[in-house]
Amino acid sequence: MLNLFQLVLQIAVVLVAARIVGFLFQKIKQPQVMGEMVAGILLGPSLLGWLAPGVSAALFPPASLSYLNALSQVGLVVFMFVVGLALNPSELHGYGHAAVLTSHVSIAAPFCLGSLTALYLYPRLSDDSVTFTHFALFMGAAMSITAFPVLARILSERGLVRSRMGTLAIACAAVDDVTGWCILAYIVVLVRVTHAARPAWITIAGSLVYVLLMLFVVRRILPAFERAFRKRERLTDNLLAVIVVLVLVSALATEWLGIHLLFGAFLMGAIMPKAPEFTRYLLHKFESVTVVLLLPLFFAYTGLRTRIGVGGGRGIWLYSALVIVVAVAGKLGGSMFAARLAGMPWREAGALGVLMNTRGLMELVILNIGLDIGVISPAMFSIMVLMALVTTFMTTPLLEWVYPTRLFRAPVDEIHRNVA
Amino acid sequence: MKNNLVAAYLLMVGLPVFGLLGILEAGRGIPAPLSITGDWTFKLDPATQCGNGGARQPALNISQSGTEALISLNDGNGHATTLEGTVNGNLLTAKSPVAGISAVIAGKPGARTLEGTIQFDGCAPAAFRAVRQAPKKGGE
Repeated sequence: MLNLFQLVLQIAVVLVAARIVGFLFQKIKQPQVMGEMVAGILLGPSLLGWLAPGVSAALFPPASLSYLNALSQVGLVVFMFVVGLALNPSELHGYGHAAVLTSHVSIAAPFCLGSLTALYLYPRLSDDSVTFTHFALFMGAAMSITAFPVLARILSERGLVRSRMGTLAIACAAVDDVTGWCILAYIVVLVRVTHAARPAWITIAGSLVYVLLMLFVVRRILPAFERAFRKRERLTDNLLAVIVVLVLVSALATEWLGIHLLFGAFLMGAIMPKAPEFTRYLLHKFESVTVVLLLPLFFAYTGLRTRIGVGGGRGIWLYSALVIVVAVAGKLGGSMFAARLAGMPWREAGALGVLMNTRGLMELVILNIGLDIGVISPAMFSIMVLMALVTTFMTTPLLEWVYPTRLFRAPVDEIHRNVA
Repeated sequence: MKNNLVAAYLLMVGLPVFGLLGILEAGRGIPAPLSITGDWTFKLDPATQCGNGGARQPALNISQSGTEALISLNDGNGHATTLEGTVNGNLLTAKSPVAGISAVIAGKPGARTLEGTIQFDGCAPAAFRAVRQAPKKGGE
């Protein structure tokens, strides 16, 4: 039964922790979101549960977590809509061969290395309820993701959005985002279809029909919102409610089809009209509550599921180190060499590699999906969360070292400031 | 320059894709530990006499990562304990300061059973049989 006092107390504690740790991380020139992610981990068994198990058990009893989870999932649905909204398809082309080569390598290299690592980790951290193919494909997808919003924020804060490296990074991250979510959707379908009562053809054919409907029917209706916005420079509350309902219906459709709620929300955002003023307006409307209130709940819920250094036996730290090294080598190394081969100077190619290596909260979203569908074990989840934290944390100092701001400052792009 | 890019593309994208296919093929034969994750219905031998005289019907939940397992055991009288266990082939052994389990894992992943003995602190070992409930996760 819902204990409202406990839930409100949990939310208050999570928000206070997120703001304090986020503030401290900003002081060391890390993105606020990095601090919020760490705050979530600190509230979980990795720190609070370890230092003060009584307090942890009283504040976050296992039976109460389903409500926190439900709230965080609603937040994620809105957040994925925002991510899709901020994704501009015009960023996906126009950068020539360098963007094509770099973006494809930045997916293929870490994907292959992630799957290769699965050969070693599968018998140690998985079990026979998961096939090797599912485990390896998931590891590959999780290794190849880039946190587009965090990357955009870092570029914006450093005034690099309009630099050649910045525009290429955004194009590559956008390609990575779309490709990564498509691959993940495929893997989720693959895993769920294997075990679902519903015939596979319904999921596959239904997904195809859904995507076609979204691209060729719904997308043609959506410009009506933009026209309404242009008339009054704002949208009425009723129209905003209609947009929210459309996001929810799209999310429900993908969940019913056996993919996942988040894919529907993301696709709805991706097909929204992309006029800058309209996008900025919607981002402003949807971002505040999501970023300030709901995302910290997701980080906290993730943190409560994460037991860093626990499970997986004595080799847990060795596995963690291996995963981090492979993730960095595949993403940073792959992107850097591809950009260099495409003609970028070493310094810019290195900076691009560092940026593409940012996994941030997109990685946490994917890992939570993986844990929910049972394709990764709790220990594997914790290792991957640690990898996401390390690769995100290392981005800012490494970028400053490889590509110092004083040398390359350029005008700050307002849209990307808002997006992040 | 264009030829170089094509060559680079084939090398850096084509090769990993072919590599991936090889990895998936190579991994098919790799054995993984038997899965015991989830909630279990747990039946103690009715002859068990300990504490309040056989009233105990423990509830069992297992969280597994590879060969390592965390077993949450509620003894039916409101006392819960967590046992740290290991899956070795088809054998599960687990212990905590107040209880120990030794059991054989049998059946397919969808219909798995545990049969063995459980020993609470101060009691004689008791035979038990546990059947895994339908998993909540989609991976199984």
